[in-house]
Amino acid sequence: MIRELEKLISLHDLDIMISDLIDKDIIKQEKKLGLSPALAVEQLRKMRDELSLTIDRRYRDLYDQLAGHYGNAVVPVVNLMCSGCFTQLPTAFSPSTEKNDQVETCPSCGRFIYWCD
Amino acid sequence: MERLCQCKWNMSSKNWKSAISELLGEFSFKATTENLLQTALETRELADPTIIHENIAIPHCRSILVDDFMIIIGKSDSGIPWPEEKVSVIILFISPVKPSGPSEHMELIKHLAKALRSGGAEKILSAGSPAEAASILKLSYEVNPGND
Repeated sequence: MIRELEKLISLHDLDIMISDLIDKDIIKQEKKLGLSPALAVEQLRKMRDELSLTIDRRYRDLYDQLAGHYGNAVVPVVNLMCSGCFTQLPTAFSPSTEKNDQVETCPSCGRFIYWCD
Repeated sequence: MERLCQCKWNMSSKNWKSAISELLGEFSFKATTENLLQTALETRELADPTIIHENIAIPHCRSILVDDFMIIIGKSDSGIPWPEEKVSVIILFISPVKPSGPSEHMELIKHLAKALRSGGAEKILSAGSPAEAASILKLSYEVNPGND
């Protein structure tokens, strides 16, 4: 998998972690377990900013636009279907040995897509 | 809660990063997926170690890389520094990202918090078998071929 795509997936996972740790229901349950979500989220935000700065600006800007618009900017392709908008991808997107070797976007919704391995 | 879990008894890892790797290795992830999940779990631990009780850690995250809950209980007799304080039980779980939001992830955390309260934590630390550990957490135990 191309490193830039790995970074976009990691950025997405980090954004999910941060959004979870500011969710009041999850905060309540994490505290019951004895964790400190407020401390974790502060550190995760710093890590998110650091990771974000290492991503090519074109992709970073597009990621931020997509995340702002859809909530999720990176989605897997399942059965040749974008799992963000559930549109069947053209056969030109058929997986090959080179899948995930370039950053691709869904031609319908524009989200970043990756092939599950 | 009808969630399946795997167990890894007698873990050999000597540090928290390799412990996460050892537990992820019990699932059948492809290399790239496993590496990205390792990164996500490590990031969460670096932000704030998930030690929830003396000798118990719960590395966890939600990720787009899984489409179902992945839960594994690990046990180490010698203890694993996390990163300093040693833990002997690790409950690692990864929740899928679903359009419905984080409610199922929250339910799992709530379920574990409940199971570990009122003596559950002490019981799992002294559990003698994977099946017993899973039972204490009220999870269904899935025997992993080659590891019981």
